[in-house]
Amino acid sequence: MTRLLTIDGLTVGHGPLVALHEVSLDVAPGEIVALVGANGAGKSTLLKALMGLLPAQGGRIAFDGEAIEALAPWERARRGLGYCPEGRRVFPGLTVEENLNVVARPDMRLDDVYRLFPPLALRREALGWQLSGGEQQMLAVGRALMAAPRLLLLDEPSLGLSPRLAGELLAKLRMIANDGAAVLLAEQNAALALAIADRAYVLGLGRVVDHGPASEPRLRRSAEAAFLS
Amino acid sequence: MLQVIVNGVALGAAYALLALGFVLILNATGAVNFAQGDLVMAGGLLVVAASMVWPVPAIVLLPLVLGLMALLGLALSLLAYFPLKSQPPVAVFISTIAVGIMLQNTANALFGAEPRAGPPLLTAGLVELGPVTVSRQALAIIAVAALLIVVQHVLFRHTRLGRVLRATAQDREMAEALGIRVNTVIAGTFAFAAAYAGAAGLLLSNTFFVTPSDGSNYILKAYIAVVIGGWGSVVGALCGAMVIALFEVVFPSLPLVLPGLASLPGASWLFSQTMATILLYVVLLAVLVVRPQGLFGETVQRRA
Amino acid sequence: MIAALHQAAARHGMAVPLIVGAVLLVLWPTAFSTAYDLRVFTLAGIYALLVIGYQFVFGHAGALALTQGAFFGLGAYVTGILGARYGQGFVVTFPLSIVVPILLAAVVASPVLRLDTHYFALATLGVAQVLLLVALLAEPLTGGANGIPGVPGVELLGTPVPRGLPLAGFVWAWVILGALVARQLLRGLYGTAFHVMRDNPMLAACLGLDTGRLRLAAFLLSAAYAGAAGSLFVHTIRVVSPEALEFHVMVAVLAMAVVGGRTRIAGAILGAFLLVHLPEWFRVFEKSYLIAYGAILLAMIVFAPDGLIGRLERWFPPAPAPLPEPEPLPKRHPIQGEGPLLALQGVVKSFGGVRAVAGVSLVVRRHEILGLIGPNGSGKTTLINLITGLVRVDSGTIRFVGTPINGLRPDAIARRGLARSFQAATLVEGLTALDNVAVARATAEGVGMRRALRASWSDPSLARARRHAMTLLNALGAGDAASCEAGTLPHGVRRRVEIARALALQPALLLLDEPAAGLSETEQADLADRLAAVREAGTTLIVVEHNMPFLARLADRLVCLNEGKVIASGRPEDVRADPKVIEAYLGRAGVSS
Repeated sequence: MTRLLTIDGLTVGHGPLVALHEVSLDVAPGEIVALVGANGAGKSTLLKALMGLLPAQGGRIAFDGEAIEALAPWERARRGLGYCPEGRRVFPGLTVEENLNVVARPDMRLDDVYRLFPPLALRREALGWQLSGGEQQMLAVGRALMAAPRLLLLDEPSLGLSPRLAGELLAKLRMIANDGAAVLLAEQNAALALAIADRAYVLGLGRVVDHGPASEPRLRRSAEAAFLS
Repeated sequence: MLQVIVNGVALGAAYALLALGFVLILNATGAVNFAQGDLVMAGGLLVVAASMVWPVPAIVLLPLVLGLMALLGLALSLLAYFPLKSQPPVAVFISTIAVGIMLQNTANALFGAEPRAGPPLLTAGLVELGPVTVSRQALAIIAVAALLIVVQHVLFRHTRLGRVLRATAQDREMAEALGIRVNTVIAGTFAFAAAYAGAAGLLLSNTFFVTPSDGSNYILKAYIAVVIGGWGSVVGALCGAMVIALFEVVFPSLPLVLPGLASLPGASWLFSQTMATILLYVVLLAVLVVRPQGLFGETVQRRA
Repeated sequence: MIAALHQAAARHGMAVPLIVGAVLLVLWPTAFSTAYDLRVFTLAGIYALLVIGYQFVFGHAGALALTQGAFFGLGAYVTGILGARYGQGFVVTFPLSIVVPILLAAVVASPVLRLDTHYFALATLGVAQVLLLVALLAEPLTGGANGIPGVPGVELLGTPVPRGLPLAGFVWAWVILGALVARQLLRGLYGTAFHVMRDNPMLAACLGLDTGRLRLAAFLLSAAYAGAAGSLFVHTIRVVSPEALEFHVMVAVLAMAVVGGRTRIAGAILGAFLLVHLPEWFRVFEKSYLIAYGAILLAMIVFAPDGLIGRLERWFPPAPAPLPEPEPLPKRHPIQGEGPLLALQGVVKSFGGVRAVAGVSLVVRRHEILGLIGPNGSGKTTLINLITGLVRVDSGTIRFVGTPINGLRPDAIARRGLARSFQAATLVEGLTALDNVAVARATAEGVGMRRALRASWSDPSLARARRHAMTLLNALGAGDAASCEAGTLPHGVRRRVEIARALALQPALLLLDEPAAGLSETEQADLADRLAAVREAGTTLIVVEHNMPFLARLADRLVCLNEGKVIASGRPEDVRADPKVIEAYLGRAGVSS
């Protein structure tokens, strides 16, 4: 199976602090891959480095066969990487519809997004800052989906959401993946993430400590160990 | 009095363009463009120079001024903003002061220090509006400025480009992560702001003349407008500009309207233009102290 | 010969270039004979004094004030009016020219200094404009647009100081005096306090420094120097006009400070010297020398923001000073009374619509080590910020030794005995590790302007603070790194230096925010041991951490937060096994469709 994303030996350091140490992983088209681990383990850092928002000190990133380490964030976005950052970061002064239409592409998928997230359709004219946490998260995902990405990067989507909402949101990921976008999901709610993912990587102190099919009980134990030994 | 108010509104309309450009750069980059006032002056001198070569009403020269000023704005961003991305925001403040100085003194060297008059927008002369006589120029200024403000509003609120500009202003990193070429957008904002500053200069050049040293005065007006209206609020900047202009025009005319004031001792300097400006600055300082967020802005940061 | 010079430079840093510069400066006026050249040299001295003063507020306090020209003009007018209209001599005009700007600065300072950068600059610009307009308007007093001619020259004890070399010498004597005073004020702990404040005002407050007072002192000093320069200026050119209040004076001062270097006195002198002589050297620029000013200012801010002296300092770095002998800190006063050290009651804090802390009540007992755990976003760091005063509570109380502290400023809280470390590194990059810690002793040493002026040649409070800092660094195992610049230190060492700095406040309560983050296993074990020793010495600790093994070894008690509430509290083994805690960290599955 050809890999959509291949990361090889990625090292990211903030100054004297190395956040990621020779991390390697890959994602296949249409897959949902979960990144679990304690805070400070490097999950967010990995996604930011993938997007080009943080500089990498070493390693290679290949997306759809093309090396993208040297590209600017907007170039990576245009090649098919969609990004939902931690904290959602919807544009506060734009309405829901404006947020979605910010980067309008020829294949406008507005109706598809509204079908996927019906509550958003009800709040078309609401400003970004007026939305609840759950609505903002849906908007952030929808906004990333508008560009028809081939890989969706999701950073801690359950943060600040009630468990029910988080569960509902993550359940949609399966529909998104079936639609053609692979998903790389960083989540501190390991149980939820492992329940919907195909495969998972467990990160600890900037390194991959375990990986494999998400359904394997071993992975849940590794995640626990990484948190609460 | 109505005549005075119409003049005030015209002045306010021109100030509004100046404040608008200032706020746009502020929102898009978080940087204070200290050269904004000098850009207004540059626009005024551009139209003066152009009319010396081609004596037509200023309205004809407006597109030319807009275009050239946009290029100047682009140059400003390349000189004073982009090289300083890694430095704290105060560095951009200083660099725009520097470019402002260069603009001001180049104008001085090229044109000399005396005030120059620009051509009228359409024609000179007066118009009867019911019981009142107002100048055509004042009406034309209001019309042109209103048109430009409407253009800005439509552009920003109802086009994709406008969404992109606003999104970049609200969260630059996120905009870039969505595929927006942020640097291009910022350069474009500088060009737009400079064009509008130039338009303000053109509108003001006939009634108020253009002097190379006008820049410091105008930047203060922009600042005051934005502080009164609320830092970062476009609507606030427009309202603030109007408040300033009305004050500047109405205050010295008070003795004419209320003759009792004219007989006060020292009335000549008490109600002079200079005094109006002093009072304006005093009001500014008061606003900064009492309600720094202005009319429409968010709460100002205070030091720890 | 070259090698010998090189060696001398390496040993003495900037001493060699500075001595060379001073010699050149002294020889300069003897190199020419025309009265005009001497006049320019005198003007350079006046601007040098002006820029030295400006460096207090712009360089050291890091505040972009635009009033320096206004204070200069005010001093000029005081001298002009008193001298020409009332026939007063230098002995009267000079001191008053200093006092009046100080008074204006004091009046303006209170509302204006609180404001953030843009507002502050604008407000000061407004003040300057008002002064100019008043000068133009108040013709009976100020002579209006024409000014006041006929100001007498300088007269000392009845004898006039002649123009030319004597007057130049007189002015430069004041420059040297001003430079010495500035150096005396800033070379010790007081100067280091300024450095921290401009680098990170929040950090300065957490170290107990009253940043408002520091900024005010800098502002008043800048006004004083400007007034002095204004007085000398008017006595030199013997006339005062609104030109002294115009914005181009301010622009020139700003340019000189940027060109020379914002915090170096030598930079002020160099910048003033260069930029005053610029139009003289390049006659071509005569009409448009200000364009050159602008271009130079732009070039400097883009390519050499630390100025010419800053560049020079890179080529002549100072030799590392020998490490001081460690000296134990003075005994801390024991905390009075009984009862818990820290008590939180119903503390609530919301940001926007999100409840970061949703009613937290907890108690910290004396001499215990309390671990604070919880998943990301549970409110741990917000709680620390609330306790240390960086954020205000919406409701609830925080009591320290029985007295409520919510609502106090962070520096007041720090002075009461609460110290903290930060999640991200907050060492001041331009200072050594030693000085980073030493500056935290500033409050204990009673640092202030009067103290700084009275200190003898080598500031005893700085030396003592450094000795204390040495002890603390050794206690944390970072003694070897004391003379290294903070920016070059590896992460583990930085953490230790930060903790040493917090300990320099001799706090009764120390709050640590993720101290073990990024440390290797051996470093963690070492840190845990050292923190245990800190507790033995009498300090209570609150440690926010994700790192369970680290906390397990260290903490007496654990408190677990989730979604802004306390969900478990008790012995480490019990809390870690608590199913609510496990669920909080790992989350619950099963609500998916």
